[in-house]
Amino acid sequence: MDISADDLAGGITKVVLRGRFDTTGAVVVELPFNKIATEKQKIVVDLSAVNFLASYGIRVLLVGAKIVKSNGGSLVVVCPDNNVAKVLKTAGMDALIPIYQTEAAATAALAS
Amino acid sequence: MIAMSNAGASRLVLRNDVAELERLAGWIEGFTRQGTSPDVSFAVQLCLEEAVANIIMYGGADAIVIAVELERNYGTLVARIEDNGRQFDPTRAPGPVPAASLDEAKVGDLGIHLMRSFANGMDYERRDGRNRLTLRFVEPPAASSEEVR
Repeated sequence: MDISADDLAGGITKVVLRGRFDTTGAVVVELPFNKIATEKQKIVVDLSAVNFLASYGIRVLLVGAKIVKSNGGSLVVVCPDNNVAKVLKTAGMDALIPIYQTEAAATAALAS
Repeated sequence: MIAMSNAGASRLVLRNDVAELERLAGWIEGFTRQGTSPDVSFAVQLCLEEAVANIIMYGGADAIVIAVELERNYGTLVARIEDNGRQFDPTRAPGPVPAASLDEAKVGDLGIHLMRSFANGMDYERRDGRNRLTLRFVEPPAASSEEVR
């Protein structure tokens, strides 16, 4: 699993995750993801290139969102309507972390 | 009479080591590469990852042997997981309590809820000092209704 981060306009940081966000993948990205969550205030997590998500991956997203919120910021997710989105919704994450289908919608929400 | 491909059973034995989850994923991918819809393949990957990760992390004993079996039974894919870890019946585990806010949200306890939601059936029995969990995944009709009369 890969993680990369880019700064967008308006102080938004885009974090792109790629690959299988399972236990094995989550262990790899957990520390760098938490570091970004600690340092940045407005974060878009792009899951478009994530083809699998299990509970440990959800845990990483949830912990990250909690860290950002405790620092007064916000974290949103970009995820197309697929099985990964179904896992997020089944786990009730859509009630806790805003999920958008496109990056434009996600950045617009953070900019407002 | 229904004519269906039946690939027979396939079996994988794992140790209680987190590194084994990668081997499990590759093995499932190989089994579901042909004759399994993408949605069922995803559900099998998810449920087996959750079930086996639970045994590895909470099974208790020093050396646990986890045997996973996959079998196509007409339109249903059946997964059996057997382990000699401590007794645990996931079918009796309470469901998660929805959190009202991000601050209140509890981290964890989602694996069994996901298994219940993505599998079409889940049965547990404790026999001969082993946990035996059976999960069923039903193919959608379009992929499994090749009837020959």
